[in-house]
Amino acid sequence: MDIRRIAVLAVMVMLLPVAAHAQGTPAGKDAYLYFVWPRDGLKVKSPFWCRFGLRNMGVTHAGDDFPNSGHHHLLIDVNKPLEPNDPIPQDKNHFHFGAGQTEAHIELQPGKHTLQLVLGDAKHYPFKPPVVSEKITITVK
Amino acid sequence: MAGEIHNIRQGRSGSYPSEGSPRRLAAILAADISGYSRLMAIDEEGTHARVKRHRRELIEPTVAEHHGRIVKNTGDGFLAIFDSPVEAVRCAIVIQQSMVGRNAALPREQWILYRIGVNLGDVIVEPDDVYGDGVNIAARLEGIANPGDLYISGGVYEQIKHKLVCGYQSLGDRQVKNITEPISVYRVLPDPDAVIKARPTRGLAVAVVLCVSLIASLFTAATVWYLFVWQPRQLVAPLQPSPAQTPNAAKSTSAASQTATPTKPEAGPSAGARTTPQVAVVPPASRSALQPVIEPEMVTLPGGKFEMGSNDDASERPIHQVNVKPFAIGKFPVTVRQWNQCVAANACAYRPTGKDDAPVSNVSWTDTQQFTEWLSRVTQKKYRLPSEAEWEYEARGSKQTKYWWGDQLQSGMANCNGCNEAYDATQPLMVGSFKPNPFGLYDMGGGVDQWVADCWHKNYQAAPADGSAWMDADCSAHVIRSGSWKNDPSYVRPASRDRYDTNVRYPTHGFRVAYSL
Repeated sequence: MDIRRIAVLAVMVMLLPVAAHAQGTPAGKDAYLYFVWPRDGLKVKSPFWCRFGLRNMGVTHAGDDFPNSGHHHLLIDVNKPLEPNDPIPQDKNHFHFGAGQTEAHIELQPGKHTLQLVLGDAKHYPFKPPVVSEKITITVK
Repeated sequence: MAGEIHNIRQGRSGSYPSEGSPRRLAAILAADISGYSRLMAIDEEGTHARVKRHRRELIEPTVAEHHGRIVKNTGDGFLAIFDSPVEAVRCAIVIQQSMVGRNAALPREQWILYRIGVNLGDVIVEPDDVYGDGVNIAARLEGIANPGDLYISGGVYEQIKHKLVCGYQSLGDRQVKNITEPISVYRVLPDPDAVIKARPTRGLAVAVVLCVSLIASLFTAATVWYLFVWQPRQLVAPLQPSPAQTPNAAKSTSAASQTATPTKPEAGPSAGARTTPQVAVVPPASRSALQPVIEPEMVTLPGGKFEMGSNDDASERPIHQVNVKPFAIGKFPVTVRQWNQCVAANACAYRPTGKDDAPVSNVSWTDTQQFTEWLSRVTQKKYRLPSEAEWEYEARGSKQTKYWWGDQLQSGMANCNGCNEAYDATQPLMVGSFKPNPFGLYDMGGGVDQWVADCWHKNYQAAPADGSAWMDADCSAHVIRSGSWKNDPSYVRPASRDRYDTNVRYPTHGFRVAYSL
């Protein structure tokens, strides 16, 4: 690599966007995330529509950096505490709604399950402070 | 215990304050599909289904997100109003850019391209329509726009010029039908390369307003091209897998690996001659097409019958026999180095981070289509994503065990959270860090999640048995395979399957490529 390339590389590195990491996106003032349906302690039949409520912030697509907005994540039977500096995990217990969905048709095995919502920023990181709903417990008949 | 989601309704319904006077100042967005009649003539039902899908998945949520309201849907377009011209133009850019991705996988004659006009005016708003000169001007702007383009009026330009990261090309004053005063027209260019391209061809006074970040990204793109691609006579070595040959590789079956020629400079001018009407993906002349391309190393397999699925998860049932046709698949997931060639050729919008030999990650399914389309164009081979059945066939390596190496978890086999000691939560390991499976393939399980061609189905009821990709009308989610470095070992199983929204990027998602033989 000759000196010209090194110089070019150096300039390029300097010009890299500063906003490369998305951690710590500020949450909206008085943001409130909650389940419109189902309510805590409810007995439901599977499948059911789960509806997400959000006050004082907006819902947008994952990847969109509009201030004061994010997208929903539904955590089912997750007991691990939320990692504020990691992207919200993606697996069979963490459902992502990056297309801006505000409801989902959920199918669960009979028995008790916990549900919790977490709002993610453009890059799926929790906001600061995290915008999370109460963790509710439902019984699937 | 694992939940199941399907049939998701998207977006929000646009709530709108009711106002006293029906007159108000609003940004009006008018859009229509160019050549709608022609598209309908080619494939009436298909076009209708696609237009409906775009409306549901893209247009309605995007308008709502930008605090707008669709006042009227016409057969081939729609009319929306916004409180803010900035939001209206942003919304239009999102729609135009999303359409590029959606069209990328289709032959050119099937492309659905919107023409969009945005105007600012005092209009009369009624619940299901909007009236006034302001609306007519938006409609005329849309009428004179090129397919895939966004034209705005001078009034909108004045409001947004210092607020939106875009290039604006002045097209001068235009006299439009039934409007007495000529209106000044600007073309919005979301991409800096397009400004350069637009200048000589238009021959018009060009007013270019470029933000620093845009200049920087152009510069970065040029530099990436310079550093990684512009190596005219240099031998481009194929990717070197780091681990030594293992016992597994040594006793590989008769269907053992047989790699394709690793590099081949593509000459023919036709390779780069294809032009696209959407500015964001125009390859810069034929220059990049003449460069050597580091093709992914491929392994060819004769195909055959296998039992697909397992009883470990509801989504993997029922176990069913599939007959896979001969095909070739990438020996490794696509790497950052390979992806960056596509970025340098201006054919891939996503700019990855990570080391050259790391698997490219944080790509959406739609992003992968840009890559396979570009790779196919420059190599003249029909690269695509593997089907889900092909992926599982390859991942099993002719085994019916839980993992390709047996029923028990072994350390040093895969990159996952709990598979071995070398787990780093922040990033995947380099491709080829572990042993290959009996087919000579690396990282079929763990590392990065891998997109396949199929739309998501919650189980295998009515799945095709011929190894083809299982597609259908609503493809808002596609299948991911392999599990990632952040998932637990159950995701490493060849039968494990999951899904994700088609247009959404997530840090653990990558892919490998395939083509039919």
